[in-house]
This record gives sequence, structure tokens and C-alpha cells, in this order.
Amino acid sequence: MIEDYVVFVGVNIILAWSVYVILLAGSLSFANGGFMAIGAYVSGVLTVKFGVPLIVAALIGGVAAAIVGVLVGFPALRTRGIYLMLVTVGIAVSVKAAIESIDYVGGIQGFGGMVGTTPWHVIGLVVLVGCGLALLSRSPLQRILDAVREDELSAASLGINPVYVKLTCFGVGAFLAAIAGSFYAHYLIHISPDQFGIVLSVFIVLYAVLGGTNNMWGPPIGAAIMTLIPEFVRGLEVWRPTAFGVIIVCLLLIRPDGLLAFRITTTRTKTASAGSHSTGPQSD
Amino acid sequence: MILEQVINGIVLGSMYALIAQGYTLVFGVLDKLNFAHGEIFMLGGFICVASIALGASLPIAILATAIIAGLLGLLVEFVGFRKFQTHDAHLTAALSSFAIGLVIIDLTQKVWGAESVAVTLPGALQTATVSIGGIRFVILRLAILIISLVLMQVLYLVVTRTSLGRRIRAVAESPAKAALFGINVTRVNQQVFFIASMMAGLAGLALALRTGYASSDVGFTFGLKALAIMAIGGMGDLRGALIGGLLIGVLEALAFQWNLGQFADVFVWLFMIVILLVRPAGLFGTLISKEVRA
Repeated sequence: MIEDYVVFVGVNIILAWSVYVILLAGSLSFANGGFMAIGAYVSGVLTVKFGVPLIVAALIGGVAAAIVGVLVGFPALRTRGIYLMLVTVGIAVSVKAAIESIDYVGGIQGFGGMVGTTPWHVIGLVVLVGCGLALLSRSPLQRILDAVREDELSAASLGINPVYVKLTCFGVGAFLAAIAGSFYAHYLIHISPDQFGIVLSVFIVLYAVLGGTNNMWGPPIGAAIMTLIPEFVRGLEVWRPTAFGVIIVCLLLIRPDGLLAFRITTTRTKTASAGSHSTGPQSD
Repeated sequence: MILEQVINGIVLGSMYALIAQGYTLVFGVLDKLNFAHGEIFMLGGFICVASIALGASLPIAILATAIIAGLLGLLVEFVGFRKFQTHDAHLTAALSSFAIGLVIIDLTQKVWGAESVAVTLPGALQTATVSIGGIRFVILRLAILIISLVLMQVLYLVVTRTSLGRRIRAVAESPAKAALFGINVTRVNQQVFFIASMMAGLAGLALALRTGYASSDVGFTFGLKALAIMAIGGMGDLRGALIGGLLIGVLEALAFQWNLGQFADVFVWLFMIVILLVRPAGLFGTLISKEVRA
């Protein structure tokens, strides 16, 4: 039981971070559920049908999703705001429908036989990604991302290539989502396309937004709370989805910028935080 | 046979268009996506079921559906959009309306169960056919088509010809300037949500009558597809939503005719992606002139 909590919270934390990485460059993705599905299916096929070790399979799944992400991201990132939202929704729906029509991976019935994820895999991944993001937030790269997010035009005038930056973030986001997906699949043993619908993609964005997207600690807090709330409102059993929805709306109304909506100064150099009046990654 | 499918597609498309016009109205005025819209559409079918079960006649059921769906729209506006008016808040508004949609689905399933519920009209209204020029039409489908076209024409006239429409267009142009001219922006937003939700509710009723049952998952299938159709037709453009809806409806019916039905969903979304990349304003929308926008 405790293993379930650890794995699901961990996977959701990685997913929340995968959206956070994309938000860092000022774009937005409702497609991460689809990338997660790609990771889950590619790695699942590799381990079950070809006997590839889990970690290697997860990495290959991640790379596959990153390639898909970059390929669709390159044209998609030309759009912004609501248009980008719609395009990524379209990607998520298409990926799900595509998987449903591939008989090799079981179609609508789903695909099974994946085993091997232990809680330690997930914990290790969370620590690894967390360290990576912490390093990132202290590195010059963070300032490049801030620049692109806050004002693409002036960033471009400083010699930064915004398209390249956004695309990289999109690819990294897809990669993280896919790795989370493959660990998730290898814990659940059986997966079906239904699990990777548009609702999942929206929930991943919700994890990040509810936690707060202007520092790296918000998304994991949002993911942990959102994963555990349904367990705590168990007492309400029958009213769970309703209570869940109401809680989401209330959280958004009370703290629209997320629970942890402030900049942690220790992750930034003093001069940068003094000079910056940014309020965090808002998609444009 | 082909002609029959085309007509079926037009009827289907008119329902798509009814929902898509609701999306586009809200988008045109508030610049926000209303993810609860599909669920209000879904609920429309159930309100129809409930009022018929309570012994109401069809006109009363239609009226009840329109009013209840409209009131629900006001609720969605108050909870999901009132506080998120700024330009930056469109993600928050989309997410909160999505959460409201989840609550609506769950409450619907609490009341009517997760299975779809059959709708039966008294008499042979659902199956009666009429023969025009050698082709048999189901009267109900023709009625749905005509009523939705009339509704959309009325909406178009309201938006372009009345003082309410002038206020709506003013707020769509710029809420701040509209407010300076003494327009109550909140009131206009409420009116827009009422109209949009009313149309969604009626579309839900039409779908329930056409298929013969109300089901709680059409919000995510049918309703979400209307969102793609809105983008295809041109975001914020009423006629674009109408033409986009009819186009997709006919293409979908033909796809089923040619045994490509399973690809219909993917096709719609891929089509939307291509349209947004090539022509972000949609097939019929123009980004520059906001005149034609609702």
C-alpha cells in the first residue's frame, strides 16, 4: 500500500516537473499525457517483446517521446496561448487514438506483462530530476529561460534563439513525461489507451499549476497533494470525484498562482532576484 | 445511399455547430476556453430525460433544458471565470472550468448512473419518416436540423443587429473600453454564458433525441470535438463555427460510409492542428478585422 503511494506520487511529481520544464520557457503543453503514453508503450514493447532491461527501455522510450515532441513541437510552438493549448490537446487526443488503432500493442484492450518498477526506481528518478532542476535554477541557463519566457523579442535581440530554447524545453518535458510513463507502466503491469486520455494531460498541468509554477518546488507539492487528496477524502467514498473537483476549483480561486507562488531566493543569485520582477512562467 | 449519409452528416454537423458556436461566443468575448461547455451539453440530454420522465411534453422539456442549461452557464461564469479575467489567467480559467466539468459529470452519474439512459417520446415521433422527392427522411432529424439552423440564424441576428449584440461586440473588442462607455461588462459576460450554455443544452437534447438515449460521456467525445471544430472554423467567428460544424459532420458521416470511422476522431484533431499552423485564424476567421467576430 505504501509502495503504491510512493510510486504514484513519484510518477506524478515527475509528470508535474515535465510540464514545469515546458512552462519555464513560456510555452504550455496539454500533450504530456500523450508523451507519457508513448514512453509507456515503447518501453513496454521493448521489455516484454525484446527483453530489454527496464532502465534502458525507459531511456529509449524517453528518447522516442522527445523525438516526437520535437517533431510536433517545431511547428506547434509557432502558435501561442490558447492556440498552443488547442494544438497540444489535439496531439494528446491523436496519440491516444493512434495507439488504439495499432493492433501490435493490443489496441483498445491494452497491453500487459510489464514488471520491474520498484519504489526505489521512482525515488531515484525524482531525486535525479530534482537535483537537475536545482542545478538548472542556479545556472545561467535559468536566466536564458527567464528571458525567453518574459519577453521573447528582447531575448532574441540579446542573441538568444527563442525557438531553440522553447523546443529544447518541449523535448525535455516530453522525455521526462515518457520516463515517468514507462515506470508507471512497469508498475501497473497492464496499461490501456483509456488511461492516457485528455483528462490525464489536463491533470498533469493541474498538478503544476496548483502547486505554483514559479519555482521548482511548487509542482511536486501540487502533485503530492493532488495524488493524496483522493485518498484522504476516502471517507466520502461516493462523493470523491465531486469533492476532488470542488477542491480544485477552491484552490484555484484562493491561490490562482499556485500554493507555493513565490520565488525561493536561495535558488537564485541575489542580484538576479533583486533585478527580476517576474512572476513566474505564465504562458502567453 | 451517399445522399442519405450526407444528410445524416449535415444533421450531425448542425449539432456540432450549435456547441461550437457556444465555444466561439465565449472565446470571442472573454478570450478564454470554457472546458465545462461540453459537460453542459451532456447535461442537456439528461435534463430532457428528467423532464420527460416527470411527464412534461416535448416543448416544455425543450424550454426546461434551455433555461436550466443557461442558468448552469451563469454558475460556470461565476465560479470559473469571474475571478480570472486578466489576459494571463486563461490557463487558470481553462483548468477551473475543466474541474467544474468533472463535478458536473460526477453529479450526473450520481443521479442517473454511469450507463446511458433511454429517451422515449410519446407516439412515433422518434421514428416517423416522411418522403420527399423519393428519399425518406426521419422527421425528427429534419426538425433538429431546421431548429438548429434557425437558432443559429437568430443568434447571428442578435449579435449583429440588436443592442445586446452591440454590447457583446463591444466587450469582445475591448472590455476596458466597453466599460468606459458605460457597458456593464460582467452583465454582458453573464448574458454570453447564458446564451452559449442554452445552445449547448439544446444540442444535448437534440443528440439525446436523435440517438434515443442520454449518455454521460458525450461531453468528452462529442463536446470536445466541437472545440476542435470551433478552431477549424475560426475562433470567435459564428459563421465559421457553423460551416466548420457542417463540414466535419458530413466528412465524418462519409468516413463511416467508407469504413474509416475509427479514424474520424484523429482526422478532426489533425485537421485542426494543420489549420492552426497554417491559418491560425481558422478557415473563415480573420485576425485583423474583429467586425465579423461575435
